[in-house]
Amino acid sequence: MIPAFFAEPAGILAESVHAEWTKLRTVRSTVWLLATAVVLTVGISALSVGVIKCPATCSADTTKTSLTGVLLGQAIVAVLAVLVMSGEYSTGMIRATITATPRRLVMMSAKAIILTAVVLTVAAVSVLGSLLAGRYLLPHNGFTRAADFVPLSTYYGPTLRAAVGSVLYLALIALFSLGVATAVRDSGVAMTVMLGLIYVIPILGGLVLSKHWQHLIGRYAPTNAGLAVQATKNLTAQAIGPWAGLGVLAVWTAAALLIGSLLLKLRDA
Amino acid sequence: MNTTVRDTAGEPKITPYQSSQPVANDGFLQLLRSEWTKFHTIRGWVIAMVAAAVLVGLPIVALGNTGKDNNSIPNQPIGPNGLAVTDSFYFQHRPIGADATITARVTALTGHTLLPPNKGGFIPPGASQPQPWAKAGVIVKASTRAGSAYAAILVTPDHGVRFQYDFTHDVAGLSGPVSSAAPRWIRLTRAGDLITGYDSVNGRTWSTVGTVRLTGLPATSQAGLLVASPTELYSVQQFANNDGQPFATVASAKFDRVALTGAVPGGTWRDTQVGGASGSVEPLCGADTGRPCNAQAKQRHDVPGSASGSGGTVTLSGAGDIAPYIAIVDPIGLSYKGSLIGLIVVIALAALFITSEYRRGMIRTTFTASPRRGRVLVAKAIVIGSASFVAGLLGAAIAFPIAEHKVAENGWPTSIYPIRAITSGAGLQLVIGTAALLAVGTVITLAIGALLRRSAGTIAIGVLVLIFPLVLATVLPQGPADLLLRLTPAAGFGLQQGNVHYSQVSSACLPYNGCYPLAPWTGFAVMCAWALAGLVVAILVARRRDA
Repeated sequence: MIPAFFAEPAGILAESVHAEWTKLRTVRSTVWLLATAVVLTVGISALSVGVIKCPATCSADTTKTSLTGVLLGQAIVAVLAVLVMSGEYSTGMIRATITATPRRLVMMSAKAIILTAVVLTVAAVSVLGSLLAGRYLLPHNGFTRAADFVPLSTYYGPTLRAAVGSVLYLALIALFSLGVATAVRDSGVAMTVMLGLIYVIPILGGLVLSKHWQHLIGRYAPTNAGLAVQATKNLTAQAIGPWAGLGVLAVWTAAALLIGSLLLKLRDA
Repeated sequence: MNTTVRDTAGEPKITPYQSSQPVANDGFLQLLRSEWTKFHTIRGWVIAMVAAAVLVGLPIVALGNTGKDNNSIPNQPIGPNGLAVTDSFYFQHRPIGADATITARVTALTGHTLLPPNKGGFIPPGASQPQPWAKAGVIVKASTRAGSAYAAILVTPDHGVRFQYDFTHDVAGLSGPVSSAAPRWIRLTRAGDLITGYDSVNGRTWSTVGTVRLTGLPATSQAGLLVASPTELYSVQQFANNDGQPFATVASAKFDRVALTGAVPGGTWRDTQVGGASGSVEPLCGADTGRPCNAQAKQRHDVPGSASGSGGTVTLSGAGDIAPYIAIVDPIGLSYKGSLIGLIVVIALAALFITSEYRRGMIRTTFTASPRRGRVLVAKAIVIGSASFVAGLLGAAIAFPIAEHKVAENGWPTSIYPIRAITSGAGLQLVIGTAALLAVGTVITLAIGALLRRSAGTIAIGVLVLIFPLVLATVLPQGPADLLLRLTPAAGFGLQQGNVHYSQVSSACLPYNGCYPLAPWTGFAVMCAWALAGLVVAILVARRRDA
């Protein structure tokens, strides 16, 4: 069954999407953020593949290393997503938006659709750029055909999975941030929550000395589980499988969006 | 009251209104007070600062509560001060009485790293050189039991002559390497329980390197020649596979002119491998062997020492080390990383402290009231820095004794991880260091906020600058990871190391295990330099820009 708000006058969602697209497109910071995301993601990835050398670290997961920049790119994607919602609250724009689109869930869906489309595009460019950097830099560092390394290619199943998974990962992080920002409204609080989840929890996960807790964090913390999709080697050593890990992040994202939309519907703007 | 005064041309002249209030003092203290008022009158911020103190302390305790792997702690001998030590060397010795002198000349000290067959062709740098802290020299030791008290005067390949005693103490003597062209004469005298070490380049003019009173040294102790060469833990930090790979090293030393005078009860020279055989040429663990790498597997590397000749001229070779035991894992330091949760809260507060002024237009009032903008930013930095320092200090100090006891309760042996008082050097460094990290972190964030004027971006960049290097350091190989932790503001986190490091002991230093390449306060100085630079740039920009 189609949710009620889609069944209502069919144009509402489309018009709302168009309005959100205009709002996003005409803010100068959007272009800057997206350009920064691509440059930093590819840059950090290139630096990371630039410093691994064979035979010193031949056992490195070259695909995963080539996607290291995603660790940084996710923060910028989160900033963009938080601003899409919280930015309207800080300027008071949200009242105009809700007046124009009184169906708040339609408004939020429109934001989610535009955000997903933009982030998927930017993530695809960043991830492909990162893999290309890996493909051309790795052979210079000893990861040659002679040492049994095939240049990175999306024709290789696990590499394709890591690439597609990383793009989806960034889109999920954006939607997660949108859900958190809708729930807390304030951009400062939303950024703090997201950055804590993105960076502090993984660091602590690595520091917990109990194997039991390490396992739990690896399986169920949103970004630890989500980034499992980047692994192409040694999968049995991972706390969770690649797609299952992304699924855990998807569940977190769905929960954040659900809570955000409930609060949006119930609360005064 | 306005009065109309006419000037010479007869036109009315208006005297501008002047308040009868006395002129307010606009000194720096007033500025500080106004910034403090802006901070503490916002209830949400005060609550967040209290929450930051809790979020510094609580995770430290929670992480201190985590257990250890059962097999990861080897059985180390216990030294004279009750702490675990490494005490394994090849010893050619004779008993001596309470007053005796042993002299020897060292003419060569060579050595190399043993390359196991299955390291995938990987050769650690400097494999053909002796280990920098290999040791050859004369020693007076209470007995041949590992961990017993000793004093020794030693020749090393890279660090000259050293006078060392009771594992943790190290005094430098003559510098430079040893060779047959530049031999080193070394001498130890025992007078009761007073041991003095001398060195000389010619055997005629001697200089004192150090003196120590070894209380409780038995009347008959062992004196003789020794050689040791520490295992090099070459850090192989990889993606999801961080490990210090042990590479055994051996050293070989030529002694001559060995003389033992004074109270020597007789007997002959005997050779003893103190602390069991040491060093190994086999790959012990890791992917090459199919055996898991735990610390115990890393500790067993057996290479027996050997001696040719005795008495006057002798060549000794062997492996091992006489040093305090340096634990690789740092449970208390890792626990203190829990304060990152508190750090992220004060980063957000510092960002809002400046950006909310821009968002609400308050900044125009602020700059009108105090037109010297640089001073405003400095006052803001002092207010938010001090508040964060106090919050961090409270959280870290209350957590310290609880975390230390939790670590011991969870089975980390107190011989390696002693329970320390908060007033000990390590305790003060962890507690004050954590508070200082929070304070300087907020100053860096404040500078970013003054430049960016937007809260979301400021918080993101603050976290990327302060915390992201830690994330990246755990996935990069050792070299670039070290570089990150030397150059970025994250160098300051070196203050949160719970293990004591000794400059005379080579040990694997992996960021993954909570070890930092710079000395703790040096790393903090790097962070402070970033804060200073950021503040200067922010002040320059704020002065030139429209508010």
